[in-house]
Amino acid sequence: MRRGPALRRPREDVLLALVLLHLVLALLAPVAAARLGRRVFLLVALAPGATAVWAVTQASAVLDGRPVVSSTSWVPGLGLALDLRLDALSLLMVSLVSGVGALVLLYCAAYFDRDQPGLGRFAGVLTAFAGAMLGLVLADDLLLLYVFWELTSVTSWLLIGFDDEDAESRRAAQQALLVTTLGGLVMLVGLVMLVQEAGTASLAQILGDPPSGGTVPVALVLVLVGAFTKSAQVPFHPWLPSAMAAPTPVSAYLHAAAMVKAGVYLVARLAPAFAVVAVWRPVVLTVGLATMLVGGWRALRQDDLKRVLAFGTVSQLGFLMVLVGAGTHEAATAGAALLLAHGLFKATLFLSVGVIDHATGTRDLRLLSGVGRRSPVLATVAVLAALSMAGVPPLLGFVSKEAAYEALLGDPVVFAGVVLGSVLTAAYSARFVWGAFARKPGCADTVVHAPSAGLLAPVVVLGLAGLVLGLVPGLADPLVQGYASSYEGEPEHLALWHGLVPALGWSVLTLALGAALFLAREPVRAYQRRASRVLSRVDADRSYDRVLDGLDRSALRTTAVVQTGSLPVYLGTVLLTLVLLAGTALATSTRVTGDVTAYDRPLQVAVGVVVAIAAVATARAHRRFTAVLLLGAVGYGTAVLFVLQGGPDLALTQFLVETLALVIFVFVLRRLPATFTRRPLRLSQGVRLGVALAVGGFVTLAVLVAGQARTAPPASQAFLDRAQADGGGSNVVNVVLVDFRGFDTLGEITVLAVAAMGIASLVLAGRGRRSGDPEGETALTAAGGQAVDEPGTPAPEVVP
Amino acid sequence: MTGNLTLALLTGLLYTVGTYLLLQRTLTRVVIGLGLLGHGANLLLLQAGGPPGRAPFSGAAGTAGDGVADPLPQAMVLTAIVITFGVSAFLLALAYRSWVLTGDDEVQDDVEDARIARQRPDRHAHAHPEELS
Amino acid sequence: MTDPQPVDSGAPPRLPGADELDAVRRSVVLETAVRLVFHTILVFSLYLLLAGHNQPGGGFVGGLVAGLAFVLRYIAGGRAALREAVPVDPGVPLGLGLVLAAGTGVTALLLGGQFLESGKVELDLPLLGIVKATSALPFDTGVYLVVVGLVLGVLRTLGAEAER
Repeated sequence: MRRGPALRRPREDVLLALVLLHLVLALLAPVAAARLGRRVFLLVALAPGATAVWAVTQASAVLDGRPVVSSTSWVPGLGLALDLRLDALSLLMVSLVSGVGALVLLYCAAYFDRDQPGLGRFAGVLTAFAGAMLGLVLADDLLLLYVFWELTSVTSWLLIGFDDEDAESRRAAQQALLVTTLGGLVMLVGLVMLVQEAGTASLAQILGDPPSGGTVPVALVLVLVGAFTKSAQVPFHPWLPSAMAAPTPVSAYLHAAAMVKAGVYLVARLAPAFAVVAVWRPVVLTVGLATMLVGGWRALRQDDLKRVLAFGTVSQLGFLMVLVGAGTHEAATAGAALLLAHGLFKATLFLSVGVIDHATGTRDLRLLSGVGRRSPVLATVAVLAALSMAGVPPLLGFVSKEAAYEALLGDPVVFAGVVLGSVLTAAYSARFVWGAFARKPGCADTVVHAPSAGLLAPVVVLGLAGLVLGLVPGLADPLVQGYASSYEGEPEHLALWHGLVPALGWSVLTLALGAALFLAREPVRAYQRRASRVLSRVDADRSYDRVLDGLDRSALRTTAVVQTGSLPVYLGTVLLTLVLLAGTALATSTRVTGDVTAYDRPLQVAVGVVVAIAAVATARAHRRFTAVLLLGAVGYGTAVLFVLQGGPDLALTQFLVETLALVIFVFVLRRLPATFTRRPLRLSQGVRLGVALAVGGFVTLAVLVAGQARTAPPASQAFLDRAQADGGGSNVVNVVLVDFRGFDTLGEITVLAVAAMGIASLVLAGRGRRSGDPEGETALTAAGGQAVDEPGTPAPEVVP
Repeated sequence: MTGNLTLALLTGLLYTVGTYLLLQRTLTRVVIGLGLLGHGANLLLLQAGGPPGRAPFSGAAGTAGDGVADPLPQAMVLTAIVITFGVSAFLLALAYRSWVLTGDDEVQDDVEDARIARQRPDRHAHAHPEELS
Repeated sequence: MTDPQPVDSGAPPRLPGADELDAVRRSVVLETAVRLVFHTILVFSLYLLLAGHNQPGGGFVGGLVAGLAFVLRYIAGGRAALREAVPVDPGVPLGLGLVLAAGTGVTALLLGGQFLESGKVELDLPLLGIVKATSALPFDTGVYLVVVGLVLGVLRTLGAEAER
């Protein structure tokens, strides 16, 4: 393709437009589904389809080393930009995300029943997922990558929980969400640390000039945790088999081709720059190998075809992690090839299981028999894919496994682990084919409804792609080399025939051992059962349950302690905190000098004693009315103290308020019992008294200290001076209220109005519904002081 | 500026009795406690203005805090008195409401919280397909 | 306020609306006293409001005194007497007061000043001579009305409603 400078700009805009197209179609899908039914999938398949086609047209330029770059400002204040970049690795991922995605969406159009409820929602979420996944593999900004990363987690949660009336499905969805978002959050911390260390969020810049600060190893481990959760590595893997509760197309797309590859993609993306960091290889290789072996071992003992594939995927993801994380040119070549191969054969196998499930109504390999004879096309394609998985020539799976053996031969431990894992892979591949298609003795042939062409076509296309790419490795080679060239070294081209090299011998041995393991399946099975009794104690899925139970329990225990529901306890806690914090500061940092007078005016002492006696008596009173009268006495006494202090306005206000308050108390006391309930809880009252004394002591000390803390002349001297001139009044207190600090007063009367409304709504609550009121009274409603005439109200007299 | 021991002690006492009543379960006593706390707070504010003096009117001889009472704390106390009145009235309406609903004005512990404290967590029960095979 | 209504019950009319009370709850002394002082107290409260800028008093004090007048009226004559005295809903003074106080602030804003900035006008009126008017007066009147509204609301609800 010739590309002039004039075409540069549209080429960049297309990148963002394609991501947006996914989101637009996702939003349209629920509406469109109402008219189109299940054909809505054909509509939404446009988005990944167009992306895949466009990616092919860009392939030669990208592989020539001219990536497509697009930058759009998003949140400049945070330095966030919609930076997208299509390079060789992204192209490889786009071919999986969009190519397989389009085929899966076409498959959906035939897979679901016409009257399946919730199809529009499903199609919308699946398209949104495809868009988020596309954004993830294109993102050139670490924070943008994180946003898309979490979007895939959320959409996958919705997709796994599609059958929301099934408890197992809901649990699986929740498990996937919790595990992947927890990992995502850990990863975010790591990403932020990386961004801080590098001074930029741009992925291209970070990879071009990797930071080497002291926090980088920690940041990398945190990022790896995110990658491990997403790609179902040990010990986070159980969510993937659980997620098989999802509809089969979801499993084929999310759990084979796309989402679970996100972690592998991130590791592949970072490895060229960071594999040299000391922590990288031990962590990635250990986890990858463990995952490969655990997955393969568990896959061997599943009876549900989908779970065989799910554990197989776990195993293969471990294998991929080893290859892309090893950080060598050869391993990267093999990893890229396997990435492609696995996407193709695993999606094919999942879709085949979907067809079998659709045609026979079961996925249990103990019940299926003779399906191969009834459905030869399906069987051929699925066998091709399974052979590719096992690593049999001349398929892409064999080509990539050969490359992997070549690459890892130098490291005996890793090599041994990978060979062992591959033996298990060969064995469960054989078991899958046998279980799905073979005729079993003592088992009647399963009834098979002929699958429609629409259901078969995408499976055939995917299956044949693996064969074609295996026969002609040169087709996939540029793509693989494009990524591998990010490492130094001579290109190691993919080939079907390398000559009589050691790797070929190991491949033959692997297949032989795998076949032996399959043939000895009954003894193997018995052994696995015995072993599982021991192993179940370290079962990761149960650990997940235990962790959740523990969280629930500790949350309950915390709530029980913190939230007792007792008002005195809450208030006491608040007050004690005040005394302990402020009181400690007060007691340690300041001291009262001797500059304290006993009294300013002798009358203060006399009134003070009366007030004190009344106050103590208030607390000791048993009759409500007595207590209220004593409170009034305290109030009037305080008013006298105000007079002595030089505040006539205060005293006047206090007298009036005290009188009004007394009246209101009496209104309410008419209804309440005459005496307080006696409480025999001596201890509890002692605690209350203790808190009260602490508060009182604190306040006394605070008053004395604060009184001596003044360092500047009072601000109010200015009020005294300016009251007449600026405020136009000689009562300075009043001028302060209505002028200098008028805003305070405005706020205060607002509070009063709100209190009045609150009182009205508390007292009148339920009154409006009472019918047959003997004497109607105009009621004040809470809403706006609006008059409501109750039924039976005599017409109010009009007052001129 | 000097402190006034009589007023300081009286303020502390009002806070003590007010707090004690605030921690009771009877809403009437809580409201009374709040009233006492209000009086204590008003005295506290007033003392922040310094020793007694002539009422703060324009033309009064002397300066704020020295000869003339400080007008700013007085304005604040005046506001506080009226606000306390509004709040007390509101609390009394609450007590009345409590009487309408329960026939008493006791503040009971939140039953819902007690129920949460007794609750056992749901087991994350889940049929392991492994066990079925 | 309204004039006493002629009623045909045996008791002489003293406080408008009080005749709705049971005879045992009526007090001649109280009713007569309240009739005598009610208006005086209201006028006094207005004096406190107007003089408050220069003498002890002001919107709060004035409003509380007016509120006490209504309390007396309610105690002597019950809720019907209160309704006779104030035929409006308590929400009206509450709302009016808030609008008046906030409006004073907004007016200052409209005239190019700060929110709530005070101003004064000196008018040379016939007969009265020079009258000084400050923006503090409408603001304080707003305070007065809100306090009156609060007391009236409490009387209507905790007083009259709780009486049933």
